[in-house]
Amino acid sequence: MKSLKVNGVERQFAPDRMPGTLSALLEALGVGTDAVVAEVDGRIVRREEFPRTEVLEGQQIELIRLMGGG
Amino acid sequence: MDKLTIAGRTFDSRLLVGTGKFSSPQVMAQALVASGAEIVTVALRRVDIDNPADDTLREIDRERFLLLPNTSGARTADEAVRLSRLARAATGINWVKLEVTPDPYYLLPCPVETLKAAEILVKEGFVVLPYINADPILAKRLQDVGTATVMPLGSPIGSNQGLKTRASLEIIVEQSTVPVVVDAGLGLPSHVAEAMEIGADAVLVNTAIATAGDPVEMATAFRLAVEAGRRAYKAGPRAPTHSAEASSPLTGFLRNS
Repeated sequence: MKSLKVNGVERQFAPDRMPGTLSALLEALGVGTDAVVAEVDGRIVRREEFPRTEVLEGQQIELIRLMGGG
Repeated sequence: MDKLTIAGRTFDSRLLVGTGKFSSPQVMAQALVASGAEIVTVALRRVDIDNPADDTLREIDRERFLLLPNTSGARTADEAVRLSRLARAATGINWVKLEVTPDPYYLLPCPVETLKAAEILVKEGFVVLPYINADPILAKRLQDVGTATVMPLGSPIGSNQGLKTRASLEIIVEQSTVPVVVDAGLGLPSHVAEAMEIGADAVLVNTAIATAGDPVEMATAFRLAVEAGRRAYKAGPRAPTHSAEASSPLTGFLRNS
């Protein structure tokens, strides 16, 4: 199994199911258009860059959304 | 009402509204329109992977409202800077409401970390609107490092206590060269009217509108109170006096001698 840490939680993927890009990861997790920005090992990734941002085993990924706040 | 200018951008409304705690996106959207606000705050959080598609903000008309991302949840300058950069990447907006609140009970802002974060963010080209305690010295220090406003609190966030810090707010208003936006604890239209009457340039309200029985009607009440307070301030209110001052002439009474 291959693993990624997504929003603080370890996630396991079978080697042939390991998402190759951030967009593929979002699809695998069932997260639609919620994520407006991401961090991959601390590097900020804009939404437009999700399809061409490679995801590698062991990375720490934060998926961020906007929500109501004061 | 005269216009408000923040960082070179002009606004007709002096009421900023937060988007938290509304019962539904539809109620929020209606309340925002009723408030007349042009600046609305939003927060950044992790996507809830087990419960996605909670897109509370989908109803916000981005043409009509300037989104002002906040750094709520940050407990240090480093966390606030990280959130600000993420917010800018997510929205394309370089405005940020800087909040650093290490204490979860009173949610009071840390002056040291706030000043530190403000210095970094201003250097990185952000338009910084810092949430602070009503501390006139800190307000001056922040305006000196180049923040676009100062946002002193009236009382703790969401507490509805009103202007507990009035004496310090008056000093901040007197000394400030950047707009003073009174934020937090404003529970009633009378509270925002009072803030505007003492010369605040704007106010920010969230809980009092979002959690009212009728948020749309309450948003209207706050809009009117902000305008009333501002107009009263510009009209030049008279100071209170100890004794009575007759409004009617003190001559020509229907009385002998």
